[in-house]
This record gives sequence, C-alpha cells and structure tokens, in this order.
Amino acid sequence: MGDIVIAARNLSKRYGPVQAVDKIDLTVRRGEIYGFLGRNGAGKTTTIRMFLGLIRPTEGEVVLLGETIRPGVRKVFSRVGYLVETATAYPNLTVRENLAIQCRLMGQPQTAVDAIIAQLGLAEYANRRAGHLSLGNKQRLALARAMIAQPELLILDEPANGLDPGGIVEVRALLRGLADEQGVTIFLSSHILGEIGQLADRIGIIHNGRIIEDMPVAQLHARTRRTLLVGVAEPERAADLLAARLGFAVVPHAADGLLRIPARPEQAPEIARLLVDAGLNLTRLCPEEESLEAYFMRITEEASCSKPS
Amino acid sequence: MFKTVLITEMSKLRRSPITWISWLGVSLMPLVSGLFMWVVKEPDRATQLGLLGQKAQFAGAVADWPGYIAMLLQALGIGGTILIAVITAYLFGREYADGTIKNLLALPVARHHFVTAKLVTALFWFGLLIGWLAVEGFVVGWLLALPGFDLRVILPAAGELFLIGLVAWLLTPAVAWVALWGRGYLAPLGFTIFMLMLGMVVGATGWGKWFPWSIAPLFAGVAGPRVETLTPGSLIVLGATFIVCAVGTMLHLRYADNMQ
Repeated sequence: MGDIVIAARNLSKRYGPVQAVDKIDLTVRRGEIYGFLGRNGAGKTTTIRMFLGLIRPTEGEVVLLGETIRPGVRKVFSRVGYLVETATAYPNLTVRENLAIQCRLMGQPQTAVDAIIAQLGLAEYANRRAGHLSLGNKQRLALARAMIAQPELLILDEPANGLDPGGIVEVRALLRGLADEQGVTIFLSSHILGEIGQLADRIGIIHNGRIIEDMPVAQLHARTRRTLLVGVAEPERAADLLAARLGFAVVPHAADGLLRIPARPEQAPEIARLLVDAGLNLTRLCPEEESLEAYFMRITEEASCSKPS
Repeated sequence: MFKTVLITEMSKLRRSPITWISWLGVSLMPLVSGLFMWVVKEPDRATQLGLLGQKAQFAGAVADWPGYIAMLLQALGIGGTILIAVITAYLFGREYADGTIKNLLALPVARHHFVTAKLVTALFWFGLLIGWLAVEGFVVGWLLALPGFDLRVILPAAGELFLIGLVAWLLTPAVAWVALWGRGYLAPLGFTIFMLMLGMVVGATGWGKWFPWSIAPLFAGVAGPRVETLTPGSLIVLGATFIVCAVGTMLHLRYADNMQ
C-alpha cells in the first residue's frame, strides 16, 4: 500500500471524561489534498497532534509514510512539514534566522532559506523580527517553516488563519500547485467549508470526535440538497396547490417568501404550468443547490441529534 | 545531530534578552560587593555621602582581598544559583511561552538532544558569565586598592567561583523538568526560590551537605559556616540529582502530551 500516506486506525484520545477523538479511521493517498473539516472543538487539532506524535493516542495508531508514529520515531519527520493551530516563531529572531534554524534541524542546505522566502513572498520581511510581523505574515512564516524541506506530506491546521483574501488565494494556488506539480500530499484542516471545498480532493467531516463524512469532494456536491426556488405572488396558495397536486410539502420561507421545492430540475416545466394555470404570477423559478456551509451545518446538526446518549 | 541542535540553541540564546539581563545581574555582584568593601574601608566618607547611617556598623567585616573574595563567593552562592535557574527557565520555558515547543517535537531530531543542547548552552553562557565575574571582580578589587593582595588567595578563589557555578549548574535539570511540567517560566523560578529557602533551612540544621540546594550556599559560606571542600556524599547527591532530573526531563519531553 505504498500510495497511502496517512493511515489512522481506530484512533482515539480521551482526556478524563472527555472523549476528544473517538475511533477515527482515515486514509489519505499520495498526491491527494484531504480537507479535514469540523467546528471548533470537534477534534481536528487533537487528531493532527496525534498524527505528528505531539500527543499519544489513548487507542489506535497512526501510520505516516509507512511508519507507525510512536515515541522516539523521528526519521519520517524529515519528509513531513506541518503547521499546528497558531503560527509561532521565535519573536526575537528575524524571519531569515527562524527559517535558518528550521533548515538546520531538517538537515537542509541553507540555500533553502532564500528559496522559501521567495516562494512565500517574504523577501520584504526577511530581516524583520518575527515578533514584529503582522498576523498574516506570521502565518506565511509558519507555512515557510513547514515547506522549507520540500516535504512529501504537509499537515496544515487552519493554514488560512490571519491571511487576507489575497493571501488566501495565493496560498490556495501554492498548495494546489504543490499537489499537482510535485505530488505533495496535503492534509489540511479548517472550519471553513468554502475554503476546503475549493481546494480539497477529498473531504472528511469530524464532529464530536467522530468522522461523520469521508468522501471525494465531487461526491459531496452530489449529496447536497437540490431544490427548485419558486417566487410567486401568493406563496401560501401556491404551497397548498403544490401539496395537493404534486405532493410537495413546502412552506414559504419566512425571510424571503420564496418556496423551496424538493424537486428535480426537469420537473420545473410541470411546476411552472401548474402555478400559471392556477392564475399565480410566477416571479422566479430556478434550481438551487444547497451551499456547502448549509450542508455542513445540516449534517453536523443531524449528527448531534442522532448521537446516542 | 547534537551539534546542529547546539548551534541552533546558541543562535537562539544570542538574540535573547536573557543574555544582557543575566550579564547585568552578574555585573552587579562585584559592584555591590565592592561598594560594601568601600563602605567598610571608608566609613566616614560613606557616612558623609549618606551611604551609611551614623550608628551603623558592619560587625566583623574587614575590607581586604580575602573579605572581598568571601563576599563574591557568597553572592555567587545564592545569586548564581538563582541566575542559572533563570537562564535555564528561560531556555526551556520560552518554548512554551512563545508557543514554539510544538515546532520542535515532530522533527527528524531526537527530542533528548534539545534537553542536552539547552543544558550545555546554559553551562556555556554561565561559564562565560562567571569568567566575566572573575575579571570584573579583580578590576573592582584593584580599583579599591584593597590590602592583602596575594595571588595564592586570588587564583584558587577564581577556581572556587567556577566550582560554585558548576554546582549550581548541576541543579539545572530539575529547573528544566519543572519548566516542562509547568509549561513556562514561572513554575521553575518559583521552584528555585522555594528550594533555595529550603536549602538555607536544611543548611542550618547541619544536614546541608546531603541536600542539593544547600550545597552551593554551604560551599559559598552563605548557609552557615563555610564548607571548604565538597564531600564525596555531596558530590554523589549532586550527581544523582543531575542524572535523575536530566533523564526525567528527557522522558517528559518524549512521552508527555504536548497540548500547546
């Protein structure tokens, strides 16, 4: 199974009465960008910490690049770059000095420092102390630190933290390029589905310490709810009509008065004909796909409701 | 790999505020001791300058080289133990305070190298500071024109300064361990002050040569009558403390969960 870069099996972490991560099984393949999504406190960072050996699992195991992560393991980390939670650096050292330290510890030639400074757009700040950097540039420095050794695997926890919209687009393009051109495997966590939806090949959703979805992003789109959005002069009468004639139980949306009918797009002509024939003025009729955010909220709420007590 | 880690630790230290803070702390020791000697030597002028109350006196204090050296040794016995603890607490605690500890733990470097490199860095810097203390102490004593100058007294005293420094350094793994446990600076500093106070009490009971935090003050002549040489028992206690705490620190870094 040489193409499996991360394999977590039955991975669990308990802190006293709190089950932070609960029997996670997860596989990430070479060259894949895996988006790990969850609300704050869902267990994303705890999982990432177990991947990196920063904390020890209560149960289960993690295999990174073919090596089981246990105390004392270190060779594999020459092939892994990471950023966990907040971007941190030595505040009294400059950007260049911080990167030079990382470069040494990763066993890289010092020429890698200039290369990564250029790649991450840090040249202007190379001689500035890390403590004087903006939040966004600290994040760039942390990303530079993670990427300096040209790792095969990048594990990034909330990599867009603190970046402005331009920075987010740049980092997204950079990560996509690393995956597409250099075959770097990227595991990134976020609580922003939009960010992950645009970048990841595969997505895992963690909620209350459990993986509740794990699928290709293309499949995610297939799972979102599709509705027909109908704007009509008398929405209550239209709703009654749709229920009576076509069996759709719909109520006008409180905010915009629109009807969201759980129908397929090809049913649109039939619905339009029904409403027009009934003398209702149709102001809008278009298909609507549930946003990824709405989908995420729906399934995490469903997971919360179905959680055994 | 140890050499690489040591270089990185040295470069981190070089740009740290602890370097000039600790240098300032050490530099004050000969200045304060020298001032004290001058007051003893020139009580009338000190009184005129308001440095000495009319009725104040320093019972038994003699303004000469042996008296001055004894004062420097005492200053290092307490001040040096605190100072090396501050340096060690900084070297280990900063990784938590700056949130950089997580950046050290998933690298192709054995974690125990960070412990040894930090301890060696502390020893190196503290050694330089004691060297500076010896030079500055000599210059201050010379400027004061203290009587009783004798190389047969001064040269062994320089050796004793380094020996007190070494004894204080042997206690640093305990400070490091507490810094990891407490995830910052405060716990190790509190620990050191508490242990030094305890060391003074134990020293006064006569059991001081068996208690690690009494040994340096006893050797410096702060906690009761000065012990001229370290007994084998004291050396064993110090060695055991160093080894147990160094291994404990390494195991902590290897096995404890890092939540930062």
